[in-house]
Amino acid sequence: MGEKRFMKGNEAIAEAAVRGGCRFFAGYPITPQNEIPEYLSWRLPEVGGVYVQGESEIASVNMVYGAAAMGTRSLTSSSGPGISLKAEGISYLAAAALPAVIVNISRGGPGLGSIQPAQSDYLQATKALGHGGFHAMVFAPNSAQEAVDVLYNAWDYAERDRNPVLVLMDGCLGNIMEEVELPPMKELKEEDIPEWSLSRRNGRDWQGNITPIYTELILEGLNESAGFMYKDWEENDVQVEEFMLDDAEYVVVAYGIASRVAKEAILNLRAQGYKVGMIRPITLFPFPKKSIRNLDYGKVKGIIDIEMTIPAQMREDIELQVLERCPVYEYGRSGGVLLDDEGVYEAIYEIVSGGENNG
Amino acid sequence: MKLSFVFSGSGGQGIMSAGITLAQAAIDMGKHATYLPEYGPEQRGGSAKCTVVISDEPIISPLPKFCDNLIVMNEQAYAKFGEDVKPGGILLANACRITETNAPEGVTVISAPVDDLALEVGNAKTANIILIGILIGATEVVSEEAFKESLEVKFKAKKPEILAMNLNALQKGIAIGKQYKK
Repeated sequence: MGEKRFMKGNEAIAEAAVRGGCRFFAGYPITPQNEIPEYLSWRLPEVGGVYVQGESEIASVNMVYGAAAMGTRSLTSSSGPGISLKAEGISYLAAAALPAVIVNISRGGPGLGSIQPAQSDYLQATKALGHGGFHAMVFAPNSAQEAVDVLYNAWDYAERDRNPVLVLMDGCLGNIMEEVELPPMKELKEEDIPEWSLSRRNGRDWQGNITPIYTELILEGLNESAGFMYKDWEENDVQVEEFMLDDAEYVVVAYGIASRVAKEAILNLRAQGYKVGMIRPITLFPFPKKSIRNLDYGKVKGIIDIEMTIPAQMREDIELQVLERCPVYEYGRSGGVLLDDEGVYEAIYEIVSGGENNG
Repeated sequence: MKLSFVFSGSGGQGIMSAGITLAQAAIDMGKHATYLPEYGPEQRGGSAKCTVVISDEPIISPLPKFCDNLIVMNEQAYAKFGEDVKPGGILLANACRITETNAPEGVTVISAPVDDLALEVGNAKTANIILIGILIGATEVVSEEAFKESLEVKFKAKKPEILAMNLNALQKGIAIGKQYKK
């Protein structure tokens, strides 16, 4: 049994990172993620880790690059505007095959946007986290507890793949307080430090080398193996929650905070006799293609994409699996205006009760 | 039982603290609770709002628009959220800052001079405890005893007078709330 606490999402993330072995954090303040650095500023020193408030986002992500090269489990966090600034460094992490975890507690955009929560960074997270055509695994937990579970294990994926991992949550989930059960501290030993890391140079007869620049044939080879890695993820690492799909005539697709508001609405609609279900991607990349592709389109009359952003950004990924076998609808709020139970219920109700508009 | 609460007012009025304290007391009693703050960029004087959901069952959505209990601490908050309370619910207004309330049909209005009461108790900062007292009296969302215990834990490190002052504030609130108990 773990330890139960009533915690803020951001603080739960920070504690779970520490328990998952994170010993280095560098970041720069931005709402709505400030509790992550604030918490780690006192928590990391307690466990012999290092906390740095960098002079900028760019400096911070490059400090993470350095710490990761030494084999230290390293973390940076920000919100959309800061993630854009970190994009170069994240691309370099991917190029140098370095494991690190990046948390985006997202807010309204584009630009400086608003400080209030929004799910406006889906495309950035899943399609182009930086230049050069690489991907990171993208996790989108929908509660403080799931965020704890994701952070606790995030470095295991990052080190397995030698690739950065992104955790995408919106400001609601960063700022919500709810119960979490914390897992025990992972006790990492000397031999758990990756063999390739620079800190394990001692005692071997070759010098470790970490670089983000290659000659063209080597780079092509690395690009190819990245492609195989993405295929592997699709086969083995998709995480998805399928909810009440058996008899569903309408299927909501929603992730993160939107999925919780949608689930409440679905239960209320079920009580009225409407057959609605939900597919909730937990990994946004790899995307749960099969769950959507393999729905029984003899029965399913429509897919409803619900996101806290306008226009919906996940829609194209959904449509590529639906392949026009049924209409795809979308509903959202944006700019820092939050989804709410009544709004989402009304939007789904209008579609499932026969309203033929907004297709 | 599932009850939702929206606390609203301006930064510095103890809105967030009231929400956290109530949610924490519910958790301490073995219930489930979520607390979700919303605020502007200002540290003081900007709009402050938080939504608390308390339930015997695990909570799915923390984002109701219409709540069972709406607490408004100033005119602006009342103008913005005054309609967002469900029929059968409670609108708790700070009479020191909100002169007139026209509640939606079926809503019980509790208009209490929260600021003045807090000053009577001895400190303006006890306003949020008075609010919670009123809510406990009117809804029994958490038991009086459990909340007293969580106050004792909260103020353990402070001078005993501080705890006594907060317990006094709680009693004042409960006495008002009980008049509205259904």
